[in-house]
Amino acid sequence: MTSVLEGRELVVLREGRRILDGASILIAPGEAVAIEGPSGSGKSTLARALATLVEVDAGTVLFDGQDAREIAPTEFRTRVAFLAQQPAMFAGTVRANLGAGPALHGKSLGDSQARELIVAVGLDESILPREARTLSGGEKQRVALARALANAPEVLILDEPTAALDPDAGERIVALLRALSARGLSLVMVTHVEAHARALGGTRYRCERGRLFAPAAGGLATAVLPS
Amino acid sequence: MSYVHITLPRLLLSLGLIAVAIALSRRSRLGLEGDLVWGALRGAAQLIAIGYVLLLLFNHEHPAWVLLLLAVMLIAAAATSARRVEHGPPRRVLFPRALAAIGAGALVALVPVFAAVVPLHPWYEARYLVPISGMMLSNAMNVVALVFERIFASTSSEADQVEALLALGATPRQALEPQVRATLRAALLPTINGLLTVGLVALPGMMTGQIVSGTAPEQAVRYQIVILYQLVAVAAVAGLVAVAFARRLLFTARAQLVLPQAFAPPAAGHR
Repeated sequence: MTSVLEGRELVVLREGRRILDGASILIAPGEAVAIEGPSGSGKSTLARALATLVEVDAGTVLFDGQDAREIAPTEFRTRVAFLAQQPAMFAGTVRANLGAGPALHGKSLGDSQARELIVAVGLDESILPREARTLSGGEKQRVALARALANAPEVLILDEPTAALDPDAGERIVALLRALSARGLSLVMVTHVEAHARALGGTRYRCERGRLFAPAAGGLATAVLPS
Repeated sequence: MSYVHITLPRLLLSLGLIAVAIALSRRSRLGLEGDLVWGALRGAAQLIAIGYVLLLLFNHEHPAWVLLLLAVMLIAAAATSARRVEHGPPRRVLFPRALAAIGAGALVALVPVFAAVVPLHPWYEARYLVPISGMMLSNAMNVVALVFERIFASTSSEADQVEALLALGATPRQALEPQVRATLRAALLPTINGLLTVGLVALPGMMTGQIVSGTAPEQAVRYQIVILYQLVAVAAVAGLVAVAFARRLLFTARAQLVLPQAFAPPAAGHR
């Protein structure tokens, strides 16, 4: 099976604890993956390890079959986007935030692209001149999503995108992610809300004690994924 | 030209100024009395000691002794700037970096000046080399301490922002740019303020000392101008070098942010 992103036997140790204990995952092009699990199970660390934002003590992350360590971090993270639970807004307007990613690589984001992006995440164009740090939690999450999409990534990893939102806003974000997935974007969403994992409509895994399990038909963890 | 001698009883009289601060500390319950007494005694003891060291050095001027004294001053400056850094790595990690940053700043500020502006004969002439180097080391020490304190604290409080930039494909240099800019501005501000207010608010110590001991004011002023410019150079270089070291401590080779909490000994919860 071809994969766009793969984690093989990932181990992350912190202060003697095995936060990730040999977790493996394979994401096919265009696939939507939900990783469920209770707090402290290691699912957020897995998401961050897949985004190469934390150092792994063992194991490998592969992008398009290539070891991530052989790809410059700046290039890898342009192609594999990561969104934190409560994404930080940079100082300035929403428009300036959207242009942040391309600007890092010496490019500029055109006004029409900015408008397309903001509409694609379900916001109105009138939000573009607003100060990004004054937005609501749900708006910030969408602006961060549009900001990440401005880099035209191939994979989007989201760490608990609905955790800080009210139920309605959370459901709207999941619907938006589902729409993005339908357009061919590969997605990894970490969540502790089973309904949101189900609503994403793709493959579901369960993270427990730093390991990843593939759910059986009944939705319970049964087997360790083969590496 | 003669100057007013300070006799020992008159020197003791000046302790009254510390008594004023102690009385205010007690009245306002600041709890600083112990620090004030210790600071006053230690400061006086250090100055008396350096006075004797300088006397000894002037009478037996030898490059090895002059360099040894400068090395001791450099080590003391580095040890002072590397301590009490909250949110940052331990002292043993910061100390060698502080040493390099202060040393680099002092070298840039001192070597050209002693080579071309105030040429020394011999090159190790202690009565110029020691006090002027001392001023540079002291300024570099303050700048490096400020840089370490601020850069680790601001990265700690704004870690989500730094990581958001990394996640968009920023290099560590790009991701830390706002924190670096704020840190260097804060660290250089006292030196720049010194440039702006000199002569208006304060007559600097060296110039005052030279005038009191009989140097022509116009020469004392020229010395002071050179020293002010040296202070700017030492602050800029030491600050930039300290920032470069801090940046390397804050990121792994794979451009991952080492969260400043990871430097702290107590175990923090990880998800």
